[in-house]
Amino acid sequence: MTKRIRTQIARGSAELAILSLLEEQPLYGFEIAKQIGERTSGALTFTLASLYPLLYEMEKRGWLEARWQANAAGRDRRYYHLTPKGRRQLGPLREEWRSFFHALDALAGVSHA
Amino acid sequence: MLWLESAMPDWKEEVRKHLPSDRLRVADPDAIVSELATHLEETYAHARLQGLDEAAALKRTLQVIEDGHVLAQKIIRAKESAVNHRTKSLWLPALVTLFAASVSLTLFQVVGVRPRLLWVGPWAFTLYWAWLATLPGIGAFGGYLSRRAQAPATWLLAASLSPALVMLIVMCVILPWGLVIDGFHFFRLIGFGLGLINWVVIPGIALLPGALPFLLSNDAGSRAVRTEA
Repeated sequence: MTKRIRTQIARGSAELAILSLLEEQPLYGFEIAKQIGERTSGALTFTLASLYPLLYEMEKRGWLEARWQANAAGRDRRYYHLTPKGRRQLGPLREEWRSFFHALDALAGVSHA
Repeated sequence: MLWLESAMPDWKEEVRKHLPSDRLRVADPDAIVSELATHLEETYAHARLQGLDEAAALKRTLQVIEDGHVLAQKIIRAKESAVNHRTKSLWLPALVTLFAASVSLTLFQVVGVRPRLLWVGPWAFTLYWAWLATLPGIGAFGGYLSRRAQAPATWLLAASLSPALVMLIVMCVILPWGLVIDGFHFFRLIGFGLGLINWVVIPGIALLPGALPFLLSNDAGSRAVRTEA
């Protein structure tokens, strides 16, 4: 698998993970990385250099909107909210990944069941 | 270092150390520094909650922002304006493709390569065979430049077909102008139709095979894992 394809898969999965998480509630960067890491049992992890550039890019595309708000401890954090445009991306993204896994399953018997 | 044991470091200062302002050339670097500083603060607090002592927690936190150069580059790329992206992935490849096609046509004319007339019934089509043969390569070059700049499929196609698209625009301006100046003639419409085929449709068909590999790989890549901007 070339580096380009690996990078695209990583980016694509990261986008889906972030959008799915923010569909539930607005979160700030550290919480996004932490929750994704915990909920995927460490299969998906973010570094600072992979998380924020991706968040900024998704923000630029209009999928996310960020606002400074106080967290539970009263500290200002930059919360990312899913926009209607971002919400519209979720359905097609999920479908594409479903097809991707079906294709892999058919080819290599990689089943996620 | 005294502050290792006494107090938390100034996280903004730590971020600035790794991301100096001359590296982070974006519209609002302070906002980014603040956000990254909050990330470091949370990382540190989380490490402490996990039972690490101050020094170990600090070491782990600073590892997070170790490679400031890569981080700055990625942030600059992510923050790059949509206008810049359009320029790099659409306008520039389109201009290069148009320029290459024009130079190629001019060169063939200069060296005396004549077009061939192809008669289909009463209609004559002017075909610059030699020039048309170069167009797939020129279209491929435009497609390559556009894909390299991560263009969406429509921009990639427009950049590759730009010589034909520009001719289409020119002809769409010429026709109404001609009709206004000379009045409506059936033969003017026929001439327009032939011009359209000679300068838009045929070159467009010649450019397309060059664009297709990039278009298909772009589409396959972006549809399978959906990363397009």
